[in-house]
Amino acid sequence: MAGMRAASDASLGPAFPETPRWWTRNQKRLAPYVFISPFYILFFAFFLGPSIFAFYLAFQEWTGLGAPEFVGLRNFLDLVEDRTFRQAVVNSAFYSAASLFVITPLSLLLAVALNSRFVRAKIVFRTVFFLPILTSTIAIALVFVLLYGTRYGLLNAPLVALDIQPIDWLGSKVWSKIAVTGLILWRWVGFNMIYFLAGLQAIPQHLYEAAKVDGANHWQSLRFITLPMLRPVILFVTVIVLIGSAQIFDEPYILTEGEPAESSTSLAMYLYRVGLHFLSFGYASAIGTVFFIAIFAFSWMQLRVLGVFRDD
Amino acid sequence: MICYSDLLAVAELLGKLGPRIGVGAIHAILLLGAAAAWFPFLWMVLASLKSNTEIFRYPPTLWPQELQLENLTTLFEEKPFASWNFNSIWIAIVGTLLTLFFSSLAGFGFGKYKFKGRTVLFAVLIGSLIIPFQLILTPLFVVIGKLGWIDNYLALFVPFVAPAFGIFLMKQFMARIPDELLDAARIDGGSEFLIYRIIIVPMVRPGLAALAIFTFLNFWNSFLWPLVVLRSDDHYTLPVGMATFYAVLIRVEYGAIMLGSTLISLPIIVLFLLMQRHFISGLTLGSVRE
Repeated sequence: MAGMRAASDASLGPAFPETPRWWTRNQKRLAPYVFISPFYILFFAFFLGPSIFAFYLAFQEWTGLGAPEFVGLRNFLDLVEDRTFRQAVVNSAFYSAASLFVITPLSLLLAVALNSRFVRAKIVFRTVFFLPILTSTIAIALVFVLLYGTRYGLLNAPLVALDIQPIDWLGSKVWSKIAVTGLILWRWVGFNMIYFLAGLQAIPQHLYEAAKVDGANHWQSLRFITLPMLRPVILFVTVIVLIGSAQIFDEPYILTEGEPAESSTSLAMYLYRVGLHFLSFGYASAIGTVFFIAIFAFSWMQLRVLGVFRDD
Repeated sequence: MICYSDLLAVAELLGKLGPRIGVGAIHAILLLGAAAAWFPFLWMVLASLKSNTEIFRYPPTLWPQELQLENLTTLFEEKPFASWNFNSIWIAIVGTLLTLFFSSLAGFGFGKYKFKGRTVLFAVLIGSLIIPFQLILTPLFVVIGKLGWIDNYLALFVPFVAPAFGIFLMKQFMARIPDELLDAARIDGGSEFLIYRIIIVPMVRPGLAALAIFTFLNFWNSFLWPLVVLRSDDHYTLPVGMATFYAVLIRVEYGAIMLGSTLISLPIIVLFLLMQRHFISGLTLGSVRE
């Protein structure tokens, strides 16, 4: 609006408001730097700065008061001995593996099903599948607590009816991780499905028509056209899922609080506890550093495969 | 022993029966998925009208037997639910608007200019995606403390308003804008910022809509960071506030939690329904190579 007004006012001079001469001469060269600067300012102040600070703190002992004390590799050596830490690594690895091998394939399956030309009311299905990620984890976690209930929970109802020993979903060391995975699955399958769905819709229809002319059936089309064409999207979702699941916090924090006996504590939960409850900033930073190395390794491999670094 | 040729034979058989079995199976999968997605949500909405005793009654009831309107009182009178709403709403809106502005501006910078150091700067931007929030959780908390931003809303959005993901997304949208259009505006004497405002912004509107809902969702559901930063309970955002119901072990008002959460979900669902076309096209733009 403002631009249009300026254009119509300027019947005599240039079509746009005057700007200082120096800037007029140099702006095309300098403007991009100004435009991208907010990212770098915030990145240095709030992300890169703290990251370097974290690497420094990882070799110190510090509770936030007084001066940090250099302790060399002690934090890392303590981590190796720390049973809770090792348990949290195992748990987080479990959540990542489940996300990768259960949640991602399920998302793909739903997307392929939803993309079928025989399905009507696609928008209704899509919206319903997207519903979980729009709801608050806090409340849904409670619904899940009730669903997982040992005696009266809906999930145990068939076992109780058949007089089989019901599963103690939230109270057993084996099942607690699976219970948390159930909540993660419920929340994220629909969200990841959207990526696959868009990837499927981007596959040119003429490929399928050509395949049909050549006598390919539905399964062959799926195997030889859909899956290969979807490869970039599958890789992309894999990265997102791995990075996201390695950092999982909300679901176990609210559903089980890590119970029983830390069997569902995620690495992010443990870091939060060490850093912000015990105020062991040095030790927490050592955990953060291990985190970084793991995420870095995952991402680097996969971003390379994806070619995201290729800039064009 | 099942070997590969058997699998192929099965696949071929399925291929022949394909259309008929396929359609049935597809619908079965979708309906099962929809039921699984829908059920806990429906349960939450219905439980928001139930009393504690009814929520835990066995056998469970689906529809509320008697409407428990006290849940509303608990929420609004015993807890500062109205303040939490207000806090969440304005932080999400301000955070989203700033994110849209800085992301599209930087996306324009990377997408439509050639400049010295561009490749390196872009690599830094993409590389920043690799820093896990957990690494900086403690040191960022220290930085926020030094700035005097503990329990301050600024800490909740200022660090996050120029996200690499948003800039990357907006850059992808810039490719569709012809350079000739920008050069024409330059010949007419338009400043670079004016070009951003009157040409770029209108043309990347779908991208902005996508980024808007994605960002809004992030701010709205954000839990860990507000939990760390906020101290006084009338400063809480909705997720942190709702979690305090859990902390009170003596008398947990489950119905009130459900009601609060139902109310939290409504605005975001409406927003999603209104913008889902844009959202879904934008969400996936980074992943699909054109």
